[in-house]
Amino acid sequence: MRSLFLLALLWCICPRPVVAQGEDSLQVGVKGFVDTYHALRTESPNDWMSSRTRVRGEVTLEKGHTGAFVSANLVYNAILKDRTGFQLREAYAYYSDEHLDLRAGRQIIAWGVADGLRLTDIISPMDYTEFLAQDYDDIRIPVGGLRLRYSREKWSLEAVAIPVSSFFELPTDAENPWSVGPLPIGDEPSHRLCNMEYGGRLSFFLSGIDFSLSALHTWNKMPVVCGGIGQYRRMTMLGADCSLPLGRFVVRGEVAEYLDELQPNEELSIVNYPLSIRAAATNALLGIDWYAGNDWSLSTQYAHKYVASGEHRNSGLATFRISKDLLRNTLALQSFAYFDVTNGGIYNRLSADYALNDQLHATLGYDYFHADRGSFTVYDHNSEIFLKLKYSF
Amino acid sequence: MKKVLLIAVLCSMFNVQWSMVNAQKLTGRDVIQKVKDRPDGDTRYGEMELTLRKKNGTTRQRKVTSWAMDEGKDTKKMMFFTYPGDVKGTGFLTWDYDQIGKEDAKWLYLPAMKKTRRISGSSSKTDYFMGTDFTYDDMGTRHVDEDTHKLLREEVKDGHKCWVVESVPVDKHEIYSRKVSWIRQDCLVAAYVEYYDKLNKLHRVLTISDVKQVQGFWTIQKMEMKNVQTEHSTLIVVKNPKYDIKVDKSLFTVAKLEKGL
Repeated sequence: MRSLFLLALLWCICPRPVVAQGEDSLQVGVKGFVDTYHALRTESPNDWMSSRTRVRGEVTLEKGHTGAFVSANLVYNAILKDRTGFQLREAYAYYSDEHLDLRAGRQIIAWGVADGLRLTDIISPMDYTEFLAQDYDDIRIPVGGLRLRYSREKWSLEAVAIPVSSFFELPTDAENPWSVGPLPIGDEPSHRLCNMEYGGRLSFFLSGIDFSLSALHTWNKMPVVCGGIGQYRRMTMLGADCSLPLGRFVVRGEVAEYLDELQPNEELSIVNYPLSIRAAATNALLGIDWYAGNDWSLSTQYAHKYVASGEHRNSGLATFRISKDLLRNTLALQSFAYFDVTNGGIYNRLSADYALNDQLHATLGYDYFHADRGSFTVYDHNSEIFLKLKYSF
Repeated sequence: MKKVLLIAVLCSMFNVQWSMVNAQKLTGRDVIQKVKDRPDGDTRYGEMELTLRKKNGTTRQRKVTSWAMDEGKDTKKMMFFTYPGDVKGTGFLTWDYDQIGKEDAKWLYLPAMKKTRRISGSSSKTDYFMGTDFTYDDMGTRHVDEDTHKLLREEVKDGHKCWVVESVPVDKHEIYSRKVSWIRQDCLVAAYVEYYDKLNKLHRVLTISDVKQVQGFWTIQKMEMKNVQTEHSTLIVVKNPKYDIKVDKSLFTVAKLEKGL
C-alpha cells in the first residue's frame, strides 16, 4: 500500500505533458492535490483525532460534445485503518451541447442555496466518518444515477434518476473518536426499480433574483432511530429556494416540505417490531451574505424545522461565517460556526490558511465543541487543534 | 470569493480602435469618453497571466481564461481560473448592465463545493483584486461621469503623442484623490497613468508597454501596475486574444458555468 501511495505521489509531482489540441481532438485535463491532515484533541487524553494523507486525482477526457470525468482518492489513514486505500469518488460520462447536459454515472449532485445545511440539498448523502471536521467537499457522497439538464439563457430544467440510493456513513466503531456510539442500522432498501429515487428542479436566473422549484421522491438517507434501530423509509420532498442580491448583501431563502418523513420513535408494536411513525416536516432557511469590502465577508443563516407530530416539534440550527483575507490574499482567516439553537450546542471551526507559494498551502485551525444536549453532545470532548498541508497541481 | 470578480472585465480594456481625433476642441471628458467608446468587437476571448512581484523579488502567479459577448450596451462575461491548482476550475459569470443604477448580475462556481453562488453585484470597487495592485475599479468599466476630467496638455510620452488628462473622483471615498492619464492619440489607449493617494502623494503607476493590433483592434498585451510606496507590482500579460469569435449566448449561463472549461 505504501509503495502504491508513493507511486501516486510521484505521479502527481512529476511534470506531465498536457494533451489539449483543437476542439474536435481528444482533450485531457488533469488536476488534483496531495494533502496531509493531523488533528490533536485539546483535552485529556490529548490523543490524535485524525492523521491522514491522501492523493486526489481528477481527470477529464473530452472529445467534441462527449466526455468522461473521474475523481479518486488514495488515502493513508493512521487512525481509521479501514479508510486506508483507494476511494473512487466521481466517475461519470457526459454529453454536453449548447442546451443539453447529460451525465450518467457516479456523481455529486448539489441543490439549493444553503451553506453547510441541507434542506432541498438531499440527493448526495454525507460521510460523517469524521463528522464535519473535514473539507465540506469530502463529506458529500456521490450517487450513481442519471442527470439530464436542459438550459436556456435564463432558466434550466433538471431531471435526476438514481436507481440505487446511497446513504449517510455514520461512525459506530468505538475506535473512531467521532463515533456516534453503537447503533444497529437496518437494511438499506433492496435494489429494485420501485426503490429508485427520482425528481426534478426548475431554476430561473434573472437579473435581480435567482429562484428554483424542486421535487424529489427519495429516502431519509440519515437513518432514523426507531425501536433502537436506524431505519430508512420513503419520503417526498417539495422545495423552493431563492437568492436575492441587494447591494453588498445577498439574501438567501430555502424551504422544503418533507412529506411522510420517518420520525424517531422508541415504541414497539405488539409483535416487537419498531413502529414507523411518519409525519410531514416543514424546513425553512433564511440567510444573509454581506460582502463588506476590504476583503471582509460575513454570512449568517437560520434554519427551522417543524414536525407535524411528536413531542419535539420545533428545532433550529444557525450558522455564522466571518472571513478576512490579509497579506495580499496569501493569508485567509475564517471562522464558521454551527449553533444548535434548540439545545444550546456549538461547533466552531477557526482556521488560518497561508499560501506558502502558488501550489502549497498550510492551514492551522481549531475545532471547538460545546454541548450539554442535542446532536453536538457526543462530540463535547472532541475539541481539537489541526494542521493541514496541501499541495495542489 | 469576490477576489475573483473583476478580472473578466479586463478584456474590455484590452482592445481599442484607432481613430482620428481632432484635439483642438476636445475636453478632458471627451477624451475619456472616446477611450470608453472604442470598438472592441462583439465577442472576445483572452488568456491572461497575472504575476505579482514583491519588493524582495518573489513572485506569485494567477492565470485565467475568459470570454465576453456584447448584447446591445450590456456585456456578458465568463471566466475560469486555470492556475494555481487550488483555484483551478473556479468559474465566474457576470452580466454587466450599462444602465446606471442597475446592479450587475454575478455568479461564482466553486468546483470543490459543486455549487453556484449568486454573489453581490456591487462588490467594493476600492478593494484590490486577488492581492494584485489593481483595484476592481481599475479593471472595471468605470462610468465616465464618476470623475471630473480636465485636459491638461498634449505631450509626447515614450514616443507617442498623448493627451494628458487629470481625473478627480466625484465620490470622495475613492481610493485615489486624483489620477493623471497619458492617452495615446493614435490608438486611444492609456500609455501611462499616475494615481495619487489622499495626501496627494504618488501612490501607484500604471505602464502599458505593449499595444498591438489584433484582427484590426488595438489590444493591450502587457501592462504593469506598481505601488511606488510599497514597491509591490503586478504584471498582466494577455495571450491569444481573439475578437468576433463564434460563441453562442448559451455559453453565458449558469449551466455552462457549472460545466466548466
